[in-house]
Amino acid sequence: MKILIIEDEKALQESIVKYLEHQGFVCEAVNDFLKGKAKVAEFVYDCIVVDIGLPYGSGLNIVKELKYMESKAGIIIISAKNALEDKLNGLDLGADDYLAKPFYLSELTARINAILRRRKFEGSKVIQFNEIKLEAEGQWITVSDKRIDLTDKEYKLLEYFIANQHRLLTKTAIAEHIWGDEYVHVSNYDFIYTHIKNLRKKLIDARCEDYIKTVYNAGYRFTDR
Amino acid sequence: MRLLTKTTLYFLAVIVPLLSLSAFYLFNKFSKEINNRSDQELVSDETEWIRYLETALENGTSFSLKTPEIVIVPTSAALTEYPRIENTYGHDAKGNETIPYRQLSQVVSINDEPYQITIRQSQKQKAALVKDITNIVLLVFMVLFAATVIFNWVISKNIWAPFRRSLNKIRAAELQKMEALHFEKTGTREFNELNESLNFMTSKIYRDYVNMKEFTENAAHEMQTPIAVAQSKMELLLQDSNLTEEQIQSVLQASDVLNRLGKLSQSLLLLAKIENNQYTTIETVNLTDVTKKYLQLFNEFITEKQLNIQTEFNEDFEVKLHPFLADSLITNLLGNAIKYNYQGGTISIGTSANSYTISNTSLQKPISKEKLFSRMQSSKDQDEASNGLGLAIVKKIVDANNMCISYVSEIGSHRFSIEAKSVQILRWKIQDN
Repeated sequence: MKILIIEDEKALQESIVKYLEHQGFVCEAVNDFLKGKAKVAEFVYDCIVVDIGLPYGSGLNIVKELKYMESKAGIIIISAKNALEDKLNGLDLGADDYLAKPFYLSELTARINAILRRRKFEGSKVIQFNEIKLEAEGQWITVSDKRIDLTDKEYKLLEYFIANQHRLLTKTAIAEHIWGDEYVHVSNYDFIYTHIKNLRKKLIDARCEDYIKTVYNAGYRFTDR
Repeated sequence: MRLLTKTTLYFLAVIVPLLSLSAFYLFNKFSKEINNRSDQELVSDETEWIRYLETALENGTSFSLKTPEIVIVPTSAALTEYPRIENTYGHDAKGNETIPYRQLSQVVSINDEPYQITIRQSQKQKAALVKDITNIVLLVFMVLFAATVIFNWVISKNIWAPFRRSLNKIRAAELQKMEALHFEKTGTREFNELNESLNFMTSKIYRDYVNMKEFTENAAHEMQTPIAVAQSKMELLLQDSNLTEEQIQSVLQASDVLNRLGKLSQSLLLLAKIENNQYTTIETVNLTDVTKKYLQLFNEFITEKQLNIQTEFNEDFEVKLHPFLADSLITNLLGNAIKYNYQGGTISIGTSANSYTISNTSLQKPISKEKLFSRMQSSKDQDEASNGLGLAIVKKIVDANNMCISYVSEIGSHRFSIEAKSVQILRWKIQDN
């Protein structure tokens, strides 16, 4: 999977590249509008992560360009402006998703995965991790070809875990992925414990290996290593 | 007290003593004049009587006359050189009224016989004079008063009109629209000075406001990227398998704080944008529906806390509000009602066509009035995950969209009510009447 990152903040660009490469993506990164435009004109990417506020031009124009070229690439806008208009504009122009800074790298990875899944596996919308298979259409998975029904939250959780496999995921990051920003209004993030416990139980009951490792006081890691 | 009323009162305070003084002066003047005239008449009467008596009494007979007006009687008293003229009071001819008299008395020698002559003249007219003068002065006063009132009314209508206009403009002034505010030139120098100062002041206020607004927005924007960088570095650092547990904890804490910082600046940005009226809309949104949506979304937390939800959706509460702000409003209110509730507590939500009420049981102390909607105050000591901007945002949304919010705290329960402003104004009017 080839990803292009157009982000002018060098340090952030490096972080994104490093994290995504860890997750098995091939990344290229540029830091201004002109270079970004040249890249998308010349090469084909599976997904493009683009900042709006770039030197020499707006990231929104790159989105326009891509749409004009009828590119098949998925597009995620990342912006410091959490402005509703920017978000709506970007989505109207044909971007697939919008992420406001600051964001968790694990969240970006999950979003990229979701887009790629929508775009690429149109025939077989399946995510696989060893014996676990996620069915895209329903809220169910198979473990060694045995069907297990999950709740909406559990499914989302598993999807997120697989997208960020082997990584330490903090409770905050997990809670924000499952619930969005609104959960801060309501509660602290301890409630994710229940969901993870239930998911783990369902998987173990299906004789699945216990991939969900608790990192004491920090969060969780989904790994087979 | 109105300025014109004040000047009128001062005017009256001066005019009343002045008029009284002039009345007094007039009375004295006239009174002297009347006395003089009476005196002359009395003296000439006396002279006539003496002349008459001198001829009539040549033969040595004695004479005596006693009428209410004239008394001429022989006397043994010593002669007086000059007639004595004085004011006295006596009964009139009919004897039933006491009236003032001018009286002349002298002991004269007529054909070497001393006679006491007393002649008096009624001064009833003098009483009438007092009445006349009082009447005239009162009339003058009334005319002056009426003239002043009419004059004031005209002044207030015309001369003070520019002042009124400026005043109304100031009253209607809104920070966001202050740029368009202009106080035009008038025909009066004082008002021109006032309006010039006002123009200067409003433009300065507006400039400061814009500067501050831009600063808030820019600061919030500029903060997001560095936070994003730090956040991403923390996340990468966490993946380092060589970290000790203690180190992981440190990184985690730093990461959580950064997360909060990011949320904080987003909230500040939201506040700035609402103030800036960036969320204007012509559509109406049904807050009853929004509430139902979030009750569903927050269902898990509600179940977890075993909260008892009582809803009374009598009518749909529809307001002109941007959907994004409607979401923000309800999540904040409902979120607080859940978050600050206790296990097994209650949340009641009621809506009518123009009001929305949400109340929840809570162990929290009532929020003090001053701190209620102020930024970063309300929940400082309660929950570290909250930035204390929630209610400030609620207030801003409500204020910026023709609604008003009130808060009531009873023992163990907190209640927030939102009303459409038109209703509130109507209620004030009813109270005024």
